[in-house]
Amino acid sequence: MENKDISQIALQKIKESGIKPISKKVFSLKRIIFWVFVCFFVVIGALSYSVILSILFNNDWYLYNKLGFIFTLKTLPYFWFICLLLFTVLGEIYYRKTLLGYRHRIITIIGIYIIITGILGTILHFVEVGEMIENSISSNIPAYSVVVFDRDEIWSHPEQGLLTGQIVEINDDVIKVSDSNGIIWDINVNDTSIDKKVKLEVGEYIKIVGDMDDDIDNLFNANEIHLP
Amino acid sequence: MTNHEECPNKTDNELVRLSLDNSDHFLCLTRRYESKLLHYIMRVSKFRREEASDILQDVFVKTYYNLNEFDEDLKFSSWIYRIAHNQTVSEIRKKSVRPSVSFEKEDIDRFEDAFDITKEIDNNFDREKINEILSHLDEKYREVLILRFLDEKDYVEISDILKKPVSTVGNLILRGKKLFKEEYDKLIYGK
Repeated sequence: MENKDISQIALQKIKESGIKPISKKVFSLKRIIFWVFVCFFVVIGALSYSVILSILFNNDWYLYNKLGFIFTLKTLPYFWFICLLLFTVLGEIYYRKTLLGYRHRIITIIGIYIIITGILGTILHFVEVGEMIENSISSNIPAYSVVVFDRDEIWSHPEQGLLTGQIVEINDDVIKVSDSNGIIWDINVNDTSIDKKVKLEVGEYIKIVGDMDDDIDNLFNANEIHLP
Repeated sequence: MTNHEECPNKTDNELVRLSLDNSDHFLCLTRRYESKLLHYIMRVSKFRREEASDILQDVFVKTYYNLNEFDEDLKFSSWIYRIAHNQTVSEIRKKSVRPSVSFEKEDIDRFEDAFDITKEIDNNFDREKINEILSHLDEKYREVLILRFLDEKDYVEISDILKKPVSTVGNLILRGKKLFKEEYDKLIYGK
């Protein structure tokens, strides 16, 4: 069989079709875009991590003794764990698309991603960015309460010894608190452990751990008072 | 007019730079890789020389069209092999053919050395058996074995051609060799 001069034919085809190499700028832009995506997923991964830390640090862990392991299961920030996982996977995918990204093992890329987002996320948590994000999302996006466990809901069960509300009046051993349903409760604060940070002033919100009085309506004997 | 006599003294990277200024220099690059790539395409596909030549033409045109994408952090040979690999895989899929392997005498020798296969057996018989075993090996093992033992690429080059981590390439070669040897022993010695 006759051997074709493949190189010559290809060059002829290039010349006849007027094919010109794609501009270097196009490839540079493509590379920059992939790196922008990688950085983007690192940053939003770090933000998710800071929200997770904020939720875990602000969780009412003292309720663990009262409610048991179910409390931990209920209050873990699953939504944010899923977000972090998703951004980690996307970060890995885009890193792999960078020039030499494919040379590294998935485990190495994910490991480095977790270290970077961990450090950045911890810094963001300490400057209270995580808390700010969570507060902003929960007050502006109604659907958020559907995907995350409402930690305040746990405090609307006076029959289980958990109550939250706003102080409306203060007397010697009894303070009056209005709960989320507008019911006014008499809180017996005699022999109650009060968190040092709590300010017992009218208008302040508090969380109360105690027992509902069996004999008198809307009387609650407080064992502990905490900040909301 | 380009002086092609200077070509052998130029590195691949120099020829890439020159080709970007004048497409005639591209001929020096393609001539350098024409035979290697044609054999590679024929080895990893069932295509005859004629079809493999058509694929290679497309590879060269694509290479020229994307020449600015080539980054000197890579070897040019790895980059052009990658284009050839992708184009061949795409053609195999388009034509829905089961890949086979095309061998020459030197290929058999290289395989026998690499796999510690006895040379007492008739070459034609070997060729047929090696072809059969490789054709039935999973694609991921077949492509690394061909690149490693027939095209004599190192692990980093294979990693760059197939866009797989170097450690994965190492594992695939190890596992592919084991599978190949097992199948070969089964066929030859009935073990």
